[in-house]
Amino acid sequence: MKKMKSLKQKCLVASTLVLFPLAVNAAEDGQAASAAVVKPIVSSESKPKAEGDNIRWEKKYVNVPEGQWTGPRLADGQPDVQGHWSNTVSNHANFTDPQGGIPGDPQGRPPKGTRADRAPSRVSDPADGEIPYQPWARAKQQEFLQYFFNAIKPEYIEPLARCAPAGVPKSFYWHGYEIRQYPGYVVFLFSSGTRVIHLDGKPHLPENIKLWNADSRGHWEGNTLVVDVTNNNGKARFSRTGDFSSENVHIQEKYIFANDGSRYTYQALVTDPTVYTRPWTVTIPARRYTAKDKPNGWHFEVLLNTRDAKGGEPIIERDERICVENNGGFGQGVKH
Amino acid sequence: MMNRKPHFVIKTSFGSTLTSSLIVSVLLSLGSFALPIHGYAAEKTASRELSPIRIPRLANGKPDFSGIWQTTSAAEYDLEPHSTRKDAPPSAGVIEGHGTIPYLPAALEERKKNFEARGTDDPRLKCFTLGVPRGTYYPEPFQIFQRKQDLTILYQFGDSVRTIYTNDTNHPDDADANDWWLGDSRGHYEGDTLVVDVKDFNDQTWLDRSGNFHSDALHVVERWKFLDANTIEYKATLDDAKVYSRPWSLSVILHRHREKDFQLIENYCYTLDYDQYYPFPKP
Repeated sequence: MKKMKSLKQKCLVASTLVLFPLAVNAAEDGQAASAAVVKPIVSSESKPKAEGDNIRWEKKYVNVPEGQWTGPRLADGQPDVQGHWSNTVSNHANFTDPQGGIPGDPQGRPPKGTRADRAPSRVSDPADGEIPYQPWARAKQQEFLQYFFNAIKPEYIEPLARCAPAGVPKSFYWHGYEIRQYPGYVVFLFSSGTRVIHLDGKPHLPENIKLWNADSRGHWEGNTLVVDVTNNNGKARFSRTGDFSSENVHIQEKYIFANDGSRYTYQALVTDPTVYTRPWTVTIPARRYTAKDKPNGWHFEVLLNTRDAKGGEPIIERDERICVENNGGFGQGVKH
Repeated sequence: MMNRKPHFVIKTSFGSTLTSSLIVSVLLSLGSFALPIHGYAAEKTASRELSPIRIPRLANGKPDFSGIWQTTSAAEYDLEPHSTRKDAPPSAGVIEGHGTIPYLPAALEERKKNFEARGTDDPRLKCFTLGVPRGTYYPEPFQIFQRKQDLTILYQFGDSVRTIYTNDTNHPDDADANDWWLGDSRGHYEGDTLVVDVKDFNDQTWLDRSGNFHSDALHVVERWKFLDANTIEYKATLDDAKVYSRPWSLSVILHRHREKDFQLIENYCYTLDYDQYYPFPKP
């Protein structure tokens, strides 16, 4: 065999990290320790930053406001937002305290600084930053967290560790991803899974069809892609801390793009009367990656094709995303 | 492009106000003009060439393969001619000339072993990515999304994603060559035929359920050609010096899904073994 694709190693790393969360914390600590002081984003129109800014550790950000789209458009009229994107505030370790690590970490490594020094909760409403769980659901989340470092039952293994798609909304704060657009469609190519957003006015699938990445119907309003998400199977977790929804969840998404193409804000209203006491809102900031950024195996998992580069501009090529095939059963360390 | 004018002329020539002698004279005036039995004719009918077909095109004039496609062939069960089996409907096969795959002797032995173990060893049974060309004739739909610079193929089975570059780029250098499940695909157009060169495969995929296989030396040249707006002729030539004695070709027809509101439905079938554990049941 020739050497395997780099993504295989990435995926192996990912699987190890998920199965052995201590390692991921170490990796994140390493990245955090090397981070320069991160300046708050003062404008949604700010230029993309160069590689090395450790933007995944951004502690403050300004949400992109909804409004008109003045940027480039595709032939079918859609705002052209194609390209590579990634979130700016840590990964899926902790949903409500993204840079706070995982409670109960047996290595006892404290989060960096105080809560006020870290990125805000991804829960932007309610104001306390907590998911408004019903008591039984909070107990389930706490139970998952209690056993996360010692998964004594199969249900304590996070599905992503078994190569399941990260689902909605976790795909937006796992690895970087690509957006491709076509007449009638926006297609998200995630590190773990794919979402096709239908802009063609077709109805949702029958409600008894349940999917890891749900069923998405969208349309554009100015600079905002508005997407109605149903048919979610409720199996994916939002985080290693066990946050979750049920298969009855209804998610109403807004992807609000800055007109200079550098950033967008993801906002989603999450409604699930079987799990929560009220609807709540998740907010995730994202930035664009371009050929000016160096591929880094996390936010920007691509190859820069320079052999065919014309005019000195490298061509970004996306690796195939293979998980279960290359890992012989991601999550196989647990015999359930 | 289709020329509409002769179509109009001929319709007129058969109009009720024209006498038969007029019809004859009109036809004679058109010289060797063939009778347009399918309702339209083209400028080159004098040389008996088939009319150019009306196919969807991108803004740049290239054929637009966007859509959801699926084969009706039995290729997935066994590419070679075969009688009815419990696990396969009969088929004359899809190999050019109705022949068999020209295996080298050692490879033929391996294929026989694969065949005997097909009920357990087919990578499909683990929902692994089917590879090229198998994904094209697997009996589940796939969707082509197309831009001028590339085609993205989303296979419903396993939700595998493949990119075919049509931006005049080349395969990675051999020094950088990798082993992909779906290979590295670089396409160009020869007339209206999309020709795709695919290499840098791994040796993990099978070609069908009967154990036909390849090595990591596989080289595939695909030819995608519209027969009409809703039908694609798909041909693949497979070369693999480690496994075959010579290149060989297969061909299947792909049909466009036109059912109302038809769409791909996510099929991460490898999750079926464990999705019983999720989500949390409500007490």
